[in-house]
Amino acid sequence: MLEFWLELAKGPIFRFSFALCVLGLARIVMLSAWGAAKAYYAAGDKELPYSLIWRTTIHWLFPIRMGLRNRPFFSIVSILFHIGLIIVPIFLFAHIQLWYQGAGLWWPAIPRHLAEFLTVTTILSAILLFLARVWSSASRHISRGQEFMWPLLLIIPFLSGFFCSHPAWSPLSYNAMLLIHILSGNFILLLIPLTKISHCILTPFSQFISELGWHFPKNSAKDVEITLGKQGQPI
Amino acid sequence: MDRVRRFKLLLWSICGLAFAVAFRRFLLGLGSSTNLNDGTPWGLWVGFDVMGGVALAAGGFVITATVYILKKEEFHPIVRPAVLTAFLGYAAVAVGLLADLGLPWHIWHPTIYWQHHSALFEVAWCVMLYLTVLALEFLPVPLESFPRLGKIRNFLVKNRLILVILGIMLSTLHQSSLGTLFLIMPYRLHALWYTPILPLLFFISAISLGLMMVSMESLITSYLYRREPETHLLTKLCKVAAWVLGGYLIVRILDLLVRGEYLAIFENSWQSWWFIIEILISAIIPIVLFTSKLTRGKLGWITLGVVSGVSGFVLNRLNVGGIAMAGTTDSFYFPAWTEFAISAGVVSGAALVFLFAIEHFNVWEHPPRDEEDEKPYTLPRFAPVGTIWLGDPHTAGMKRNSMAFVVAAAFGFSLLPFSSLESKGLIKTPANSARGKDIMQIDANRDGFFVTFDHKKHENSLGQTQSCAVCHHAKLPADEQTSCAACHQDVYLVTCIFDHEKHKTWLGGNQSCTQCHPAGQNRSVDTAVECNHCHNAEDASLVLAVQESPIRMDQLNMAGSYVDAMHGLCVTCHKEIAERIYRPLHGTCTTCHPFVAEESKYEWDKLTQTTASPRWVISTPLLQENIDVEKLKESVAAQ
Amino acid sequence: MKSILTDITKCIGCNECVLACKRTYDLPPELPRRWHKPDGLSARNWTSIVRLPENKFVRKQCRHCQEPACVSACPVGALIKNAEGPVTYDGGKCMGCRYCMMACPYEIPRYDWDSAAPYIRKCILCYERIKEGKQPACTEACPTGATIFGEREELLAEAKRRRQENPKLQLYGDENEIGGTCVLYVSDVDLKAIYNGRDLRGDPALPSTTAPVLASVPLTFVGVGVLMSGLYWTINRREQLKKEGESGEKANG
Repeated sequence: MLEFWLELAKGPIFRFSFALCVLGLARIVMLSAWGAAKAYYAAGDKELPYSLIWRTTIHWLFPIRMGLRNRPFFSIVSILFHIGLIIVPIFLFAHIQLWYQGAGLWWPAIPRHLAEFLTVTTILSAILLFLARVWSSASRHISRGQEFMWPLLLIIPFLSGFFCSHPAWSPLSYNAMLLIHILSGNFILLLIPLTKISHCILTPFSQFISELGWHFPKNSAKDVEITLGKQGQPI
Repeated sequence: MDRVRRFKLLLWSICGLAFAVAFRRFLLGLGSSTNLNDGTPWGLWVGFDVMGGVALAAGGFVITATVYILKKEEFHPIVRPAVLTAFLGYAAVAVGLLADLGLPWHIWHPTIYWQHHSALFEVAWCVMLYLTVLALEFLPVPLESFPRLGKIRNFLVKNRLILVILGIMLSTLHQSSLGTLFLIMPYRLHALWYTPILPLLFFISAISLGLMMVSMESLITSYLYRREPETHLLTKLCKVAAWVLGGYLIVRILDLLVRGEYLAIFENSWQSWWFIIEILISAIIPIVLFTSKLTRGKLGWITLGVVSGVSGFVLNRLNVGGIAMAGTTDSFYFPAWTEFAISAGVVSGAALVFLFAIEHFNVWEHPPRDEEDEKPYTLPRFAPVGTIWLGDPHTAGMKRNSMAFVVAAAFGFSLLPFSSLESKGLIKTPANSARGKDIMQIDANRDGFFVTFDHKKHENSLGQTQSCAVCHHAKLPADEQTSCAACHQDVYLVTCIFDHEKHKTWLGGNQSCTQCHPAGQNRSVDTAVECNHCHNAEDASLVLAVQESPIRMDQLNMAGSYVDAMHGLCVTCHKEIAERIYRPLHGTCTTCHPFVAEESKYEWDKLTQTTASPRWVISTPLLQENIDVEKLKESVAAQ
Repeated sequence: MKSILTDITKCIGCNECVLACKRTYDLPPELPRRWHKPDGLSARNWTSIVRLPENKFVRKQCRHCQEPACVSACPVGALIKNAEGPVTYDGGKCMGCRYCMMACPYEIPRYDWDSAAPYIRKCILCYERIKEGKQPACTEACPTGATIFGEREELLAEAKRRRQENPKLQLYGDENEIGGTCVLYVSDVDLKAIYNGRDLRGDPALPSTTAPVLASVPLTFVGVGVLMSGLYWTINRREQLKKEGESGEKANG
C-alpha cells in the first residue's frame, strides 16, 4: 500500500506539482511583464532616469553588503537558509538519480557530506528565522499568516529528507518517511507560484517597480489620486 | 458576457491539456501519444483535424460566392464571420497537421519538391494558397483599426473580387481532392464509400456543410453573446443547404445503384450501420427539418438540423478516413485520449482566436462590449491565495484564463506517463517455464510453437547427475533447481531481478543501508557493494550461482531476455559440438526449430511416447559457410 | 530491370534472409511493440518469414511494383522508382505524412513510431549493392535457392517454366497484378493470406485510379475561374441594366 502511494507521489503527483510550478511561474512573469508594459503605455510622465533605476535594481538584487552592515546576524542566517534551500534540492545526488531514471537528464551532484551539512544549516536557519519573526515586534506586525507558515513548512521536507538519508535515526520506517518527504516537497512546489515564494522569480520585477517608485517626479501622488478618482480619500 | 467568460475558461483549459500532450508528442514521437500503428497509419488527426477541418471551413468560399458573385446582398452581415471561420479552420488544419506529420519541420517541402502525380501534393498546394487568400480576404477587417495602413486595406478591398474568385477556384480543387486521396486505396476503403466519384461527393457535401457550419457558428456566437440570432438569414441558408443536401443524397444513392453495391447497406455489418447512421444524420434529418412546414424557420429545429448535419459530415470524413477501413486491415485502432486532447485543443485555440477577433475588430457591425474591460481604475485587487498583487483589474480575464490553462496543463502532465517502456511501445511478454519432464516443451510466450527439448538425453550425454551445472547456472537460496523463467522473466526484455525492498527487509530495515551502501558516499547502484560481497562461498545458503557458471557474481542484478538466454546457452554449445563431431547440421536453427510445431502441437502425446528425435524438414545436408572445413577435419583427427 | 523470384515450395523458413538483411543495414534487434502487425515486418525488419499452415513459409517484403502506388502517392517525391527496379526512399525529402503506408495495396511500408524524428522503412531491394553489381543480401544468404535474383524477364520466364512443370503452382507479380511487380512469387498456397485476404491479380495499376482525376485538375481550375467570372459579369451587367432602366424611367418620368 505504501509502495503504491510512493509511486503515485513520485509519478503523477510530482509531475502535476512540478508542471504547475514551472508553468505557474512562467504565467506570473508573463502577467507581470504585460501589466508593466500596459502601465508604461498608460503613464503620463515617461521622463524617468531609467539607466539609474536599472543600475540600482541590479544592485539591490544582491543585497549582501548592505544587509551585512545593517543586520549582520539576520543577513547571515537568511543567506545560509537560501543557499541550502536552492542548492540541496537541485544538486542532491538522489534527486538527480530520479531525473536520470525518469527523463534521462543528468547533471553534476554535490558530495553527500556537503548536502547533509547544508540540510542541517537550512533546518537550523529556518528555525532561527521563524523565531526572529515572532520575536521582533516590527516584523510580527507586518507579517501575514503565510510568513509564519513558510519557514515551518520548509523544514518538513528537509527534516524528512535528512531522516531518509539516515534511516537509522528515523522514528518512522524508511518508506513512510520518504512518502512524507515527497508529498511535502510536492506541496511546496505546488504553492510556489501561488504564494510569496514566487519572489524566486518575481524579485527583479518587484525590485524594479519599487525603484521606479523612488524616482517618480514630485507631486505624482496627486496624479495617481486623480487617475484613481480618489482625491481626498484616506489611503 | 458571462457565457463567453465561462466558455473561454473551458477553451483555455482544453488548450492547456493539449499543450501537455503536444509537449510529450514532440518530445517522444507519435508512438508515445497516439494509438496509430503500422496497419492504421492515419487516425483521428487526419480524419478529424485535416479532412473534417477543411470541410468545416468550406463556409468561406460558399458565402463569398453567394455575396460577391451571385450578389445576394442580404447575406452580407455573415460574410466576415464566415471568412474568419474559414481562415481559422484552415489555420487549425495546418496546426493539426504539424502534430500529425512525423517530420513537421519538413511541412514546407511540397513547395520545393514537386510530385504532381500525388493528390496530397495538390491538396497541400491548394491549402497553402487558399490559406493565404483567406488571410488577404480577412485582412481588411483588422486593418480598420490601423488607419495608417489604409492604403493596403484599400488595395485589398479593391481587388476583393479576384481574391474571391481565386478562393472559389482553389476550394473547388482541394475540397474534391481530399476525396481523390482515397481513390488510390480501393482495397482499404469499404465499397459503400469507395467510388470513383468520391471527389464529386466531397465537393457537394463541402458546399452544404459550409452553409450549415456558417449557421452553426452564427447560432453559437448568438448564444454566447446573448444576441438576437439572425433567424431569417439562417432559414434561407438552411433552405439552400437542404437543396444541396438533396442533390448529394441523390448522387450518393445513384452511385450505389450504378455500382451495384447498394445491397451492402443491408448486410448488418459494422460498416453498414455506420453508413446508415451517417446518411441519416448528415442528410436525411437536416433535409426534413429544413423543409418540413412544421419545423422550418423555428430556431430550435434549425439548431438541431444544423448540429445533426455538421456532425453527420464530420462522421462522413471520419468514415472515409478510417472507420470504414476497420475491416480491411488486420489491426485495431481507436484514438487515444491524447489524440482527442490535441484535436480538441486545436479547435479550442481556433475558437479563442475567433472570439478575440469578434471582440476586437468589426467582424460584426458592432463588436460586443465587455463591462469588465470598461471598469474605470479601481483599487488593485489581490489574489485570494497568498494575497499577492498580479497586475491591475484590466488583466482579470487574462489571470483567470491563464490559471485555467496552467492547471489543465499540469493535470495533463500528471496523466501522461513518461516512462520509456510505454513511450517505446514495448509490450511485456512474461516468460513461462518449460513444460514436461524428460522431454520438455519450451514455449515461453505460449504461442503454440515450441522447441522440443529432450532433457533426459542431454542429461545422459552430458554426464548424468553431475551435469546439471552445465546448463543450470543459478538457483535461488535454498532451492535445488530454479526455472529459467524465474530470472529471465520476459521473453524479449531484460529484467532487473534485484529486489531492493526484500533485501532491505532481510538485512534489518532502517538500520541496513550501510551494509551495502558505504557510509558517507552517495547511494546508488554504482556505489553499492557487489553481489558477491554476501553471495559467496562462505555462506552456502546464500550462494546463487553454481560453480563454473558463466555468470559473474557481480552481475546478479540483471537477467537477459528469455530468448537471448536460451539461444546463448543452446546455440553456443551446439555450434561447438557441431564443429567437433563434423556435423554442421547440429548447430543450425533447424536443429531446435524443426518447424514441425504446427503438427507437434497436436502430436505431443505421440512424441512423448516414442521419444523420437525431432523430425527435420530439410533432408539434404547443408554446409554452413562460416564453418572452416579444414579446422573441422583437424578437430576430428585430433579425436 | 532487376528482380527477385521467391519460390514458396523451396522455402524452409530458416530466416537467413531476414538476418542477412538486418546485418546489411545494421538494423537493431526487434522487440514486440504495440504498433506491430502480426506479419513480422516492422521498421527494423524489412523482410520477414510468415508461417502459414502446413509448414508453408512465405517471405514478405516490398514488391517493388512496376507502377508503385506509394511513389504516385508521395507528395514530395521521397519515394522513387529506379530504372534498375528498386523503389527507394529519401528521408531528407519525406515529411512524414504516411500517405504511402495508406496507399500501398500490400501494406508494406512501416514507420519508426517510437522515434521523435521518424522515417518510413521498407525493403529497398539493396539498391546500392545492385548498382555495384552484387545481388541483394537476402538472395545471397538463401541456402536453398528459394529466393533468387536476376533480370525480371528471365525470372518471369523461369517462373512460368516452373509453373508448367507443376500445375499446382501459381504465379504472382506478372503484368496482370496491378501492372506487375519486381518481386515475383511462385507459390502453391494462396498469397491472399499474407495480404489481408486481398488478391490483386487481375486488377489495374493503382496510380490509374487517381491519374484521370488529377489530370482534370488544371481544366477544373480554369473552368471554375471562367465560370465564376462569367457569372459575376452576367449578374453585374443585369443589375447595371436594371439600374439604368430605373434611372432612365425616372428621367423620362
